[in-house]
Amino acid sequence: MAVHRLSLNPSSYKTRFTQRFLRALMKINKNKNRSSTSSSFQEIRRGRRRIKIAADGSMASAVGSKRAWSRAMLYKLRTRTRHQAWVRKISTAAKRKRDVGNKPEEELSRTDDLRRLVPGGEAMDFCSLLEETAHYIKCLTTQAHVMQSIADFYST
Amino acid sequence: MDPPSLINEGSFPSANASAYSLDGIWPFPLNSGGGVSESGGDLGLRRSPLGQNSGGFAETTRTRIRNRDVSVDESTVTENSGRKRIDAASEDESSKLVSTNSGNDLNVCNGKRIKLSGSRDKNGGLKAEMESSLSAGNKPADQSTQPSEPPKQDYIHVRARRGQATDSHSLAERVILLNPQPITSQNLNKFCILVGTVVAQARREKISERMKLLQDLVPNCNKVIGKSLVLDEIINYIQSLQRQVEFLSMKLEAVNSRMNPGIEGFPLKDFGAQTFTAGMTFSSQATREYGQGSPPEWLHMQVGGGFERAA
Repeated sequence: MAVHRLSLNPSSYKTRFTQRFLRALMKINKNKNRSSTSSSFQEIRRGRRRIKIAADGSMASAVGSKRAWSRAMLYKLRTRTRHQAWVRKISTAAKRKRDVGNKPEEELSRTDDLRRLVPGGEAMDFCSLLEETAHYIKCLTTQAHVMQSIADFYST
Repeated sequence: MDPPSLINEGSFPSANASAYSLDGIWPFPLNSGGGVSESGGDLGLRRSPLGQNSGGFAETTRTRIRNRDVSVDESTVTENSGRKRIDAASEDESSKLVSTNSGNDLNVCNGKRIKLSGSRDKNGGLKAEMESSLSAGNKPADQSTQPSEPPKQDYIHVRARRGQATDSHSLAERVILLNPQPITSQNLNKFCILVGTVVAQARREKISERMKLLQDLVPNCNKVIGKSLVLDEIINYIQSLQRQVEFLSMKLEAVNSRMNPGIEGFPLKDFGAQTFTAGMTFSSQATREYGQGSPPEWLHMQVGGGFERAA
């Protein structure tokens, strides 16, 4: 075990995400303890949504504002109600911009799918979209790792 | 005879690089490979149609050196300030061309060549490729211009040999090198179109470089060839990752509701040990389509590892 302690990088994405996520989990736990723990489906769904938001938010804040996707995700989380109108506006503008460009038809649908998947991907050109995708994939895998290990630690 | 004397007095880079002192400015060495000297030889051959008066030629070489330095400075400036400057700078140079005589025409064409290769070098050091395309492209040109040497030429048909790069960038370079034409609006149009295609080519190279990076990141993308298939794989991978995160959040929520009080001390030092064993059993369930053999590859991807070189 001592070997693994040495391999911890104090400022990597993984540790930053872990700290924030655990803090968020504790906060959610405290809120849940205060209110009544009902086991209806809606409560469960809401609780799950809250944890997912906490996970995404802590990941995005661990990355910071250096990346376009993290900025977009933070913005999305903070202004959740106004977000739909904003997305619609940006996507129409981006669609107009893309019609001028020179992508063939079948690629257009795939890049559209990619844009929908990556947060903030609607308003980027293809080149930076690829870069953001790579970084986003990397962070998603670390997020999955960390959440997995947390779940396993607490379920045993 | 004229051409050898031209080459000798021309102070080409392989001859005396110190005359230029471009070492600090030019991104890659001037005398590497035979490409540059051959292109220099080609330029020497072509100079005779232009500078019919050999008396005036000495001045043109000197002015060429000065112009070349100036245009290399321009090339660093364009490197720094992005590609949009190329169009503006080409217009600047066209005005310069209009004002000077045809003897200097070659000089500014040299400058254009420098600028183009400078902007291309920004894309990750494709120097070797450019020089090989230059040298390969100049060989047929040597053979074609040596016997004929027409005094007036409107076009030189740039033939691409087998296996040569026929992309717009090398074509543009070859056309510009072999074709010092007088400046008309038509030629200017053609040059601007060429510059546009060069810029598009650079953008395409950037995109393909990023696609290669993505292919390294996604586990099953090495066997797939073709942009759309790779994109498909990437989309599937991201979707499965997002589903995995959702599934894990559901699991965590269940855990949370069970273990209310005890969530304080998560031992981070056990972190590394746990991810290996636990992750392997889980990821094989959730990402079945990626094959049972590949999950361990994901787990060993370190965060700071391979991507920093592109960031």
